[in-house]
Amino acid sequence: MNLKDSLDSLRGFWEEFSKVKTGLVGLAILIVFVLLGLFGQWLVPFPEATKHWLDITYWEDNPQAAPPVWTNWFSAKKGPPSLILTSPKVEKTSTDNGMVIQTSTFDFKDNYDLPPRDLIVRLGGNGPIPTKIAIFRPDGSGGEIWRDQLQLSPDQPTRVSLAHSAASGVIDFIRSANENLAFSMDPTLIKPVTLMFSQIDPDMVNSPKPMKGPYKIVVTQLVPSTDYKADIPTIGLSGYVAGILGTDKMKRDIFTGIILGIKWALIIGILTSVISVVVGVLLGIIAAYFGGAVDWVLTRLYELIYLLPVLPFLIVVSAIFKPSIWTLILLICLFFWTGSFKTVYSMALQIKEETFVEASKALGSGSWRIIVKHISPILLPYSFASMALSIPAIIVYEASVSLLGLGDSTIVSWGQILQAALTNGAVINNLWWWVIPPGLAIALMGMSFAFLGTALDKILHPKLKTR
Amino acid sequence: MPSPENSHAGAKTPIALELKNLRKEFHVHRGKTIIKAVDGISFSLKRGEILGLVGESGCGKTTTGKLVMRLLKPSSGSIIVDGEDTTAESANSKESDFAYRRRVQMIFQDPYASMNPHFKIRDVLEEPLLIHKVGSTKTERTEMISEVMRKVKMTPVEEFLDRHPHMLSGGQRQRVATARTLILRPEIIVADEPVSMIDLSTRAEILQLMKTIQQEMELSFIYITHDISTARYFTDRIAVMYLGRIVEIGTQDEVIDDPKHPYTKALIQAVCEPVSGRVGIMRELEIKGEIPSAANIPSGCRFHPRCPYATKECSEQPEPELIDVGGGHEQACRRWKEI
Amino acid sequence: MSETTSTVKPVLEVKDLRLHYFTSKGAVKALDGVSFDLMPGEALGLVGESGCGKTTTGVALLNMPSPPGRIVSGSIVIDGTEIVGMPENELRRTVRWSKISMVFQGAMNCLTPVYTIRKLMVETWKEHAPDASFDAAAIEERMLKYTRRVGLPDHVLGRYPHELSGGMKQRVVIAMALFLEPKLIVMDEPTTALDVIVQAQILNLIKELKRDLGLSYIFITHDLATEAEVADRIMVMYAGKMAELGMSEQIFAAPDAGAASPASHGSPATYGSPATYGSRGPLHPYTQKLLASTPLLRKKVSELAFIPGAPPDLIAPPPGCRFAPRCPFARKKCSEAEPPVVELEPRHLVACWKAMEDPAYAVS
Repeated sequence: MNLKDSLDSLRGFWEEFSKVKTGLVGLAILIVFVLLGLFGQWLVPFPEATKHWLDITYWEDNPQAAPPVWTNWFSAKKGPPSLILTSPKVEKTSTDNGMVIQTSTFDFKDNYDLPPRDLIVRLGGNGPIPTKIAIFRPDGSGGEIWRDQLQLSPDQPTRVSLAHSAASGVIDFIRSANENLAFSMDPTLIKPVTLMFSQIDPDMVNSPKPMKGPYKIVVTQLVPSTDYKADIPTIGLSGYVAGILGTDKMKRDIFTGIILGIKWALIIGILTSVISVVVGVLLGIIAAYFGGAVDWVLTRLYELIYLLPVLPFLIVVSAIFKPSIWTLILLICLFFWTGSFKTVYSMALQIKEETFVEASKALGSGSWRIIVKHISPILLPYSFASMALSIPAIIVYEASVSLLGLGDSTIVSWGQILQAALTNGAVINNLWWWVIPPGLAIALMGMSFAFLGTALDKILHPKLKTR
Repeated sequence: MPSPENSHAGAKTPIALELKNLRKEFHVHRGKTIIKAVDGISFSLKRGEILGLVGESGCGKTTTGKLVMRLLKPSSGSIIVDGEDTTAESANSKESDFAYRRRVQMIFQDPYASMNPHFKIRDVLEEPLLIHKVGSTKTERTEMISEVMRKVKMTPVEEFLDRHPHMLSGGQRQRVATARTLILRPEIIVADEPVSMIDLSTRAEILQLMKTIQQEMELSFIYITHDISTARYFTDRIAVMYLGRIVEIGTQDEVIDDPKHPYTKALIQAVCEPVSGRVGIMRELEIKGEIPSAANIPSGCRFHPRCPYATKECSEQPEPELIDVGGGHEQACRRWKEI
Repeated sequence: MSETTSTVKPVLEVKDLRLHYFTSKGAVKALDGVSFDLMPGEALGLVGESGCGKTTTGVALLNMPSPPGRIVSGSIVIDGTEIVGMPENELRRTVRWSKISMVFQGAMNCLTPVYTIRKLMVETWKEHAPDASFDAAAIEERMLKYTRRVGLPDHVLGRYPHELSGGMKQRVVIAMALFLEPKLIVMDEPTTALDVIVQAQILNLIKELKRDLGLSYIFITHDLATEAEVADRIMVMYAGKMAELGMSEQIFAAPDAGAASPASHGSPATYGSPATYGSRGPLHPYTQKLLASTPLLRKKVSELAFIPGAPPDLIAPPPGCRFAPRCPFARKKCSEAEPPVVELEPRHLVACWKAMEDPAYAVS
């Protein structure tokens, strides 16, 4: 068939296809997925995520288990999103002995009902440098909350996490307001950053009330000499809410994970379905056409595999052999070819009896010519529909296997994300943004293929009749 | 003009096809029932002749056609084409089968079903060329295709080549089917009810076309039909079949105007014609009962349960072979002189 | 133009019937203005090729066109009752099978294989009997009466369809059409799928029933030879319209017409003297050609006629006479204006400009 014919039949096909609304919906969703899968790399806030999914240092600056940013819309209590505070007001004052005091003042207006989770100060330099950090609150209270001599390096910034390091410092400035209160606080049990942003009252540990207003965070460094290159620090505010879909307990941005998972869902789904349908169709035609012993062997094989329960088998094999994703795909194919086999078998049996097949034999056609030229083209439409319809199940199988922790841990798949969620108690802790997006994504992609497949089936099915 | 090589060399014998005692049995129900579809047929087809195989359903005419086409393997007997016994062991190889198919072609009853609906007419006609590797370039093949299309009067050729079968009328499809049989220049064509699914007003057109082509190309035709009236119009000789055997064979004038076998007489009695004065007048039918199953063939002369002239001997004595009743006209009733 | 020549009322009156199939490609005008009458005890044959509308007429008479078909306009009066517009329930209870029944094309192959013949007939009774009474004995008696009448042995009632031969199945179907005792039976190609000898047997049966039961028949077929056996009058249809309607003697040659030369086969001059009606033979060119295309068995014909081309597209039929594109006598007028239906001889109606203008057939 030349190009013109292909275009014509494609156009005709499109006309019919566009009449089935669900098919269009399915196609639209699929196109969105594909585009996101292809270009998602540039959309996500964490482009290197695939390589670093299991690397905790990559995610350091994220808040842990933070709900998505837009939840602020629905919450009575709004929390700050993650920000990076840059461009502080820098003052340099020289001291008598040739050192410079570098003061960087960061302004931060807190109008939120909930405090951020952490303040992370990133500093760079080359060598030792005494540093202190102070915070000044809207009501005038505040003061130094941390000081130390840091070893800075020019290649890698040093992080100072106030949530981890500022406990005693915070207690200090609380002491100046309420001595007894400060005395009752245990530095290992309090949340320094929460307290920093809350009003000082006796109940502040258990039910902190936010102190809203302008805050100043001052980082003071004693630069030892003029050769010392002290970078202007930045402060990462680890928000209460973060990201389009929040973060998980390992601080990973879930939105990134979902986008990255698209690629794998598509690969697994499409590859598996194409391989299994092609194999099923071929074997079905061969069994139907040649009959006899070939038919007997293939049908018994079909019956055997058809009766095996897929998931338990996959679980057992995965548990023993810990396969990579490619091996898993192959395993699923081993089961899925049976789906199209039987239907194709009965259709091929029918087609085999058609007069035009007899006519072709009368002309001297060999078996392969009949299979390739006469039988297969009629089954092609069904094959496409079949492929589309088997993808949802395949995606779910992979997710189930991953869910049980038996999947390929080197890839980011939605099943993996779900697995992490459940093992880390996402449900118990009400971290719904960890559980729902991957589940929804699986369902959506499955649904889009199901719609597509049903639409294809609806259009192409009548044409399965050869008259 | 390029033409496919004839697969046989030398002068052609005057008898294009000869069947000798051909039998075909089907074993059904795990071999418990044996259906004798063709139960000992012998006839010869002269070169350039049209022989009609006429009979009702179950008489074995279609099975005979398929045996000649090698779509079925005979249970016993021989098929001799151009002097060669094609049913001999030596002739059973794939190559000989392949070569055979160039010489014997078939036109099927249903003009729509005999073509793959996804194929274009061009593809339908190119298929035999591709299978037998005739015509090495696309241009050569297109020329051959155009030639046969012109032969069956499907012009302008380009208008039809890119169409699919469902875009043509029944008559047009049957022309294409005819063209398909011609493109390899066969010797023998088996036509199985070629016009029974076509409108009345187009039938004669197709039959006339086939006859013209047959005479031009010196083809030998086997014309299978249940409609003895079209056989009258189209054939040279007619063989009447009943329950797997030939009961009468002769020229069409002999068989239709002067039938000798009771079954042939019964068939002719039963045929209606478009003439007035028939309303309210019962048609005289001497024949009794219905066609028995080919699994249960009656003893002696197989027609005896239905024959109005049957005597006790007809059921007891062995089945009569074809008897010559004059000038090549043969029939299989031992009492023919008395009735 | 009145069909009734006496005080006997026709059992069927069809006036200007139009039935269209509304497909996605447009409305297929399968029946586009057909009118005819049928007297009690008379058999009318509908003859034509595929697409002419004869089967459509049959199903229209029972108001059962297959969707997307619908009767668009016209009237059908059966035994004094107007069918068009009647609600489905009323049709099922009071008209179908009790006033008019039908033997469908290929019906013998559509008998439900899992029911015995008895069960099939009882189901039919339950569906269509006017009074929904179910007296098993009375029904059994009625069934036996008609199965015997069609020549079937009693035990057939207990058999399944696949156990019967083709001829027997067709007899069953005829019995099913008869046993609710309608006045009018429509038969659509009742013998087409049968072997020659069985066909002749069934035709004999139909003739017997016609003689003994005094029923009216509409006999639909594409085969003129079969029509000649049964039909008193014959209506030739083409592309959804009537081409010609005449007595059997007016359409066919008399059996003793002698050696008809091929060219004259079907031409007016060869027909024998008429009985009661004028008999100038078929007047419409289509009928003439159709007759000339039908091969004869007992006369040798060296050349059969055929009509080149194909029937017109019924979604957008050509203007004027629908046969004009294929008619050897067509003139300019024929493709401009549709010829009206005219009675050119007593009881012989034709819709053809040429036939009308031939001085031999002055319009009376």
